[in-house]
Amino acid sequence: MVSESSVDEVAIVAASGVIDMLTAPQLEEALRAALDKKPGSLVVDLTEVEFLASAGMGVLVAAHEEAGDTTRLCVVAEGPATSRPLKLVGIADIVPLFATLDEAIASLRG
Amino acid sequence: MIDTMQSAKVANAERFERFGISATAQTASQTRDEFAAWLRESFELDPIRSSDVVLAINEALANCAEFAYLERPDTGTMDVLAWHDAVESTITVLVSDRGSWRPPVEPSVRTRGRGIPLMEALSDRASIETSDHGTRVKLEWANVAPAALRSRSAH
Repeated sequence: MVSESSVDEVAIVAASGVIDMLTAPQLEEALRAALDKKPGSLVVDLTEVEFLASAGMGVLVAAHEEAGDTTRLCVVAEGPATSRPLKLVGIADIVPLFATLDEAIASLRG
Repeated sequence: MIDTMQSAKVANAERFERFGISATAQTASQTRDEFAAWLRESFELDPIRSSDVVLAINEALANCAEFAYLERPDTGTMDVLAWHDAVESTITVLVSDRGSWRPPVEPSVRTRGRGIPLMEALSDRASIETSDHGTRVKLEWANVAPAALRSRSAH
């Protein structure tokens, strides 16, 4: 499940449940649609994600590259199923990672 | 003889077996969920460990589904065998296929190729054997106690 919203000109794409090779294309599509609007900032909120496989991590890295200089992209994730593997394979070094949506938005405003 | 092994579904306190399942994303996802249920019911694992094991198995299955049979038009099969060694307190998982793996993608392709590093980081020991007959991923975790021991010691 993927939904889109925005807070104070920060676009937010929130995913929930399982992101594996079956469902990663949905996230990819949602992120592409959000980036097409060329927002200044885009938060990928994985707070409600229970399982994140490498297929989903690849989508995050691709979106971050696509965002380029146009959109500041960051990820919100916290827990053994999400932030832990993102840190283990070094994605947190490529894509800014925050524990909560509030922290992410505060950082983008700052 | 091989036919009798097809679609065998075994899951008890010691073993989890799936032989001859189709190497597709759908089956990989379903098998991961079944494996996660087996893990939850059979062992005492903290959330981090549990999450690590399930993700590592997912990556092994996903690699089969994505890469093993690229050069064949039909869908191949994969086998999963996991067991707990009560003496050693280890879990060993074998995921095998009869296809040919593509070599890992170049590091410059940043969006792909994290399955193997993940398996290595998430397990206590990981090995990948490739031969003309296929590929076998072996993942091991140490210090895994069965759930039954936990409930017994709690009383």
